[in-house]
Amino acid sequence: MATLMTTTAPTSTARPERAARTISPRVDIYETDKAFVLLADMPGVGAGGLDVVTEGDELIIHGRVERPASPPDYQEFELGDYHRAFALTEDLDTNGISATLRDGVLRVEIPKSPGVQPKKIPVRTE
Amino acid sequence: METRSTLPWHEMRRLQREMEHLFADFTPTWRWPLTGEYPPINLTRADTGITLEALCPGADRASLEISALGESVTIRGERHADPGVAEEQYHRRERPLGAFTRTVNVGDRLDPERTQATFTNGILRVQLARAPEATPKKISIQN
Repeated sequence: MATLMTTTAPTSTARPERAARTISPRVDIYETDKAFVLLADMPGVGAGGLDVVTEGDELIIHGRVERPASPPDYQEFELGDYHRAFALTEDLDTNGISATLRDGVLRVEIPKSPGVQPKKIPVRTE
Repeated sequence: METRSTLPWHEMRRLQREMEHLFADFTPTWRWPLTGEYPPINLTRADTGITLEALCPGADRASLEISALGESVTIRGERHADPGVAEEQYHRRERPLGAFTRTVNVGDRLDPERTQATFTNGILRVQLARAPEATPKKISIQN
């Protein structure tokens, strides 16, 4: 399992030459009080083949796969590199983004800025 | 749990169009909702055996079961959603989740005792061995 912090500046890998077979990975996105969680199916991608990058107000996920040397005899899927980008709004803390990859599923957690997190106000009784 | 009503995720329409274009190149098993069988598989045949690969990223490892019988191999497993997340917290749900079972007839009699499987980066790879009587034999040509 790899942990990728996306606080570094975008690298040249953020916008690679698009391969002939580029797949837009399927994602689930849900929201909690403190963060947004993005889950992306990227089967075939290992930790070394994954880039999670923020570039301006974009979150870019890119995964590279090793294709088999020869095509299978019966084929229902074809592996290809994955690429998908999302726009981030200002109320998200892009410096606090964390990512993990496990069994071909990328999980990215994007914390909300402290100012937009719900705050419980204690009520005093008099 | 309270969630904010705004939608901070605005995926660019350009990319969405691109996605739809890309998906058009794939077999129906990749479309949502799934109309084909899940998970999608590839088969590769060799003299030494048959390799079945199935795309099931995030499948619960403990749930994965593989069995071979006759000419058929069956794979079972489950993909779980994150626990404790209510429906209204989701902004997007594209990933197929739940239990799956798929049986494939590979056309050759199999030896269940010599079936091996690995699960790496979300790809289940099952190495199937043919039963001795189904193993291809090289016939030498005599003059």
